[in-house]
Amino acid sequence: MTPEQEQVIDNETLPAKTKEQLKKFLSEKNISDDQFEEIIERVNSEYMSTRIEACEAVGVIAAQSIGEPGTQMTMRTFHYAGVAEINVTLGLPRLIEIMDARKEPSTPTMTIYLEPEFGADRDRAREVSWQIEAATLQEFGDITIDMQDMQVVVHLNSAVCEKRKIPVGTIIETAPRKIRERRHYRDFEHESDEKEGVINFMPKSRESYQNLFQLAEHVRKVIVQGIDDIERVVVRKESGEYILYTEGSNLKDVFDVEGVDTRRTRTNNINEISQVLGIEAARNAIIHEAVSTLNEQGILVDVRHIMLVADMMCLEGEVKQIGRHGIAGEKESVLSRAAFEVTVNHLLDAAVANEVDELSGVTENVIVGQPIQLGTGDVKLIAKPMN
Amino acid sequence: MQSYTRYERARIIGARALQISMGAPLLITTEKCDPLEIAIEEFQQNIIPITVKRK
Repeated sequence: MTPEQEQVIDNETLPAKTKEQLKKFLSEKNISDDQFEEIIERVNSEYMSTRIEACEAVGVIAAQSIGEPGTQMTMRTFHYAGVAEINVTLGLPRLIEIMDARKEPSTPTMTIYLEPEFGADRDRAREVSWQIEAATLQEFGDITIDMQDMQVVVHLNSAVCEKRKIPVGTIIETAPRKIRERRHYRDFEHESDEKEGVINFMPKSRESYQNLFQLAEHVRKVIVQGIDDIERVVVRKESGEYILYTEGSNLKDVFDVEGVDTRRTRTNNINEISQVLGIEAARNAIIHEAVSTLNEQGILVDVRHIMLVADMMCLEGEVKQIGRHGIAGEKESVLSRAAFEVTVNHLLDAAVANEVDELSGVTENVIVGQPIQLGTGDVKLIAKPMN
Repeated sequence: MQSYTRYERARIIGARALQISMGAPLLITTEKCDPLEIAIEEFQQNIIPITVKRK
C-alpha cells in the first residue's frame, strides 16, 4: 500500500476502527490503483448499508432486539461465574437489575487489576488483597470473656499480624474506634498494652452479663483491616497476571489502596461508578454489563441497541431506570405517561395541574389519530422547480 | 442525484402516484397503466418535481 492510498483511506468518512482494519488488511498486499478504488467503493457502500436511515424507529427495534432474546434467557441462574466460590447474579435477574438501575446490585463484585509490579508476583498480590479484604478482630487473636472482672480480653497473635502486614499498634488503635464509629456501640471503655498485644474492653455498666456478651460480640466482629464493604477476596491468575475478585464493592476505597490499577479495575455496581467516575463511565458500565450478561448466556445482541438504551438511561446526567420511576414516568407528555401505566391517576393529576400536551411525541399522536413523527410520517415534501 | 432514504422515496413516489391517478400530465412516455408504476418510473428517471425538506 502506498502512502497516497493511506491518505485516501484517512479522508474517507468511515469509522476510525474500519479505517484501521482496512489499513491493516491492505498493508502487506500489493494492489493496483484500480483494485484499490474498487475496494474503497465497496467498503463505502457496505458501510452505508449498515447505517440506520433517518426516521427509522430505532427505539422499537432496540426493544425488540433485546426483548426477544431475553425471553430465551434462563429465569434463575445461581451461577458461579469465572471464579469458583464467588457467586454472581447472572442471566435475566441481572439484566433486569441493570435496566432497573438498582442502587445496589444483589451480588456486588469487583474485579481488581493490579499494577504490573504487584500483579506479577503472587505474594505481593496477596498483600494487596489483605489491604482490601475486611478482616475481623477475631482473626488476629484470641478473644475471651472474663466473667469475674466483667471484661473482654483480646490477646493479639503477633505472628498473624506480621503475616498480614499490620502493626499491633494499629489494631489497638482501630478496634475501639471502629466499634464506636462503624458499629455504633459506645457503652464501653478500653485499655491496652501494646508490648503484650493485649486489649481489655470493659462495658460501662458492670451490672448485667447481657451487656458484656453484647460487647464481646462487637469486639469479635469489628473490622480492623481492609475495606468494610468487601467481605471476601479471591486471588486468581489470569493470562499471566494476578487479579483480585471480590465479594462486595467499594470503588472509592479500593482506588486508594496501593498497587491497584485504577484504569482497569471495575465493579458491577453501576450506581457506584456513576458516583465515583461520572455519568460517561456509568454509560460504558451499563453497556459492558448488559453485553457481558447477554453474551454469557450465548445471546448475541448488536451493541448499538444496548448503547441506545444506555444513552437513554444516562441522558439526564444521572442513571435512570427504564420504567415507571425513570424514563417512562418522567416524560413531558401527559398522554404518553397515561398510555404507559396508571392511566387515570396521570390524567387526573394533569387535569388538576392544568397541564398542556404539545403532541410532539409518538404515543400522543397515535392517541389523537395524527400522523406520527416516524418513517414516512416525518418526511416533509416540497416542490422542486423543474429546470 | 440526491440520495433519499426509503421513507423519502416512498413518500415522493406516493405523492406523485396520487397526482397521476387524479389526471396530472405525465412527464414520460410509457406503456404502463398503473399510476404507481408510472410514478416509480418517473422517480427512477429523476424527473419528479418533488423533493424533501430536511430538518
